[in-house]
Amino acid sequence: MDPDLIVNGVVAGSLYALVAMGFNILYRPTNVFNFAQGDLVMLGAMICASAMALWSLPWFVGAALALAAVGLLGLIEERIAVAPVLRRSASGHAWVITTLSFSMIIANLVGRIWGPDPIAVRPPPPLTTETFELFGANVSSYQIALVAATIALAAGVESFYRTRAGKAVMAVAEDREAALLRGIAPESLSRWSFLFGGAIAALAGVLAAPLLYASIGLGPSLLLKGFATAAVGGIGSNRGALIAGYVIGLVEALAAVVLSPGYQMAATFAVMLIVLLIRPHGLFGHPEARSV
Amino acid sequence: MSAPLLDVQAVDAGYGHVGVLRGVSLQVEKGAIVALVGANGAGKSTLLKTISGVLRPTAGRIVFDGAEISGLAPHRIVDAGLMHVAEGRRLFRSQSVRDNLELGLYGGRLDAAAEARRYEFVYELFPMLRERPDHRAGVLSGGQQQMLAIAQALMREPRLLMLDEPSLGLAPVIVDQVIGAIERLRAEGVTILLVEQMVDRALDIADRAYVFQNGVVIGHGAPADIRGGDLIRRAYLGAAG
Ligand SMILES: Nc1ncnc2c1ncn2[C@@H]1O[C@H](COP(=O)(O)OP(=O)(O)O)[C@@H](O)[C@H]1O
Ligand SMILES: [Mg+2]
Repeated sequence: MDPDLIVNGVVAGSLYALVAMGFNILYRPTNVFNFAQGDLVMLGAMICASAMALWSLPWFVGAALALAAVGLLGLIEERIAVAPVLRRSASGHAWVITTLSFSMIIANLVGRIWGPDPIAVRPPPPLTTETFELFGANVSSYQIALVAATIALAAGVESFYRTRAGKAVMAVAEDREAALLRGIAPESLSRWSFLFGGAIAALAGVLAAPLLYASIGLGPSLLLKGFATAAVGGIGSNRGALIAGYVIGLVEALAAVVLSPGYQMAATFAVMLIVLLIRPHGLFGHPEARSV
Repeated sequence: MSAPLLDVQAVDAGYGHVGVLRGVSLQVEKGAIVALVGANGAGKSTLLKTISGVLRPTAGRIVFDGAEISGLAPHRIVDAGLMHVAEGRRLFRSQSVRDNLELGLYGGRLDAAAEARRYEFVYELFPMLRERPDHRAGVLSGGQQQMLAIAQALMREPRLLMLDEPSLGLAPVIVDQVIGAIERLRAEGVTILLVEQMVDRALDIADRAYVFQNGVVIGHGAPADIRGGDLIRRAYLGAAG
């Protein structure tokens, strides 16, 4: 197999894993699958790109702005589109409509404000997207940093779930009423999770921008890939998201070469179907936890 | 007589538009075991859920240790010192025994040494928990799960423990262990409100008892009087009061 293919697969897979982790973080205490996640990712990329291009701010300032703004937007989404419907029925599915509406609103506003043109984003120095040869493959320092950052983030998020607060989030995921009776306040955990889930979405967008450009087209495609990754990995599992991201990224890269680039999406969803047929809860999902 | 620890005053409650409880009043004295008996569907679990804040009363007041708790969020009621072990041992099944106990400490303000003493306390009460800290709660037997559920509720040193049918589906020898643990808790100063289908077992250990029928308290008193009268027969046979 062409070593470049492995590089491309692992890099794309890392991005998908980042998007899936954002999904997972806000799914856990709410059992809500956020349909606006792709738009939050896209908005993160747009804010960072604009801060750098228009105001010539350094990368890390643009990234921090994007994380803060999108985290806040996640919190707003939780307050207006999620908390009210969960208060009415914690097990209902009205959030499908409300988070989808929120997604449409963001996509529409971003389209109005920024227009359709993609914005190029430079990686933070000393990283570059210039490739060099490593073990026969062409890689850039930015790609290596991206893959490493994703692994570090997955490890960080997983270690949070081993703290008492993290166990409380898992408890809410498993049995909301039992958690209430133990003094756990699901509303507060759900607010924090949307804040962090939003910030991670922005981070995914910020990290994707130097490779894919920042554009409104980023939202829908990353929503679908991120969804497939979360489902294959087992919804809620961040270790699963990382592995599933690599699997889907590699299958896609392979499909693009062996078949043609037009078959990438089909390959992604074929992987998803096959995995879910064999393991309905995904590679690392717990059958005991509630599922969508 | 001093004020009761828990004072439920003329409470109405239910689910949405469906009323279940009508004008329920009930007192639990500090240090007592108060039993709550009545047929299936009488509203016993609904009353416990209303006291713990999962449901809101539509009328009446609930006072705990002198402060009104009706209308507070469930975690505030837990903070006040009231713990509810729900029907059907609602544990976090995919988490370990130790993690379930740790979750019982969530939101509390005990320091590390005090937390260690709480683990020791529940391990003394239910030694089997000490032997399997890493087992997932979901793989324990019914009796072990019930013990874990009670232990979890004890981690934050509640002053009032509400138990909803702890004997449900347990073998008689396990029921004996659970009843024994409840009596030991009273000796330790924990006040207990006990909902039980096994009326005789509940009356054996209770200081006082309430009889429920169709969302209404149809009588209360000392266990001997309840046993002697015809309240129980009425409550379970459904004869009109
Ligand atoms: N979640 C619920 N939604 C609507 N009605 C309920 C619910 N839970 C219980 N009920 C009804 O409330 C009444 C009292 O039930 P419950 O409090 O569980 O009785 P008990 O615990 O004494 O067996 C019953 O008529 C029951 O059908
Ligand atoms: Mg009941």
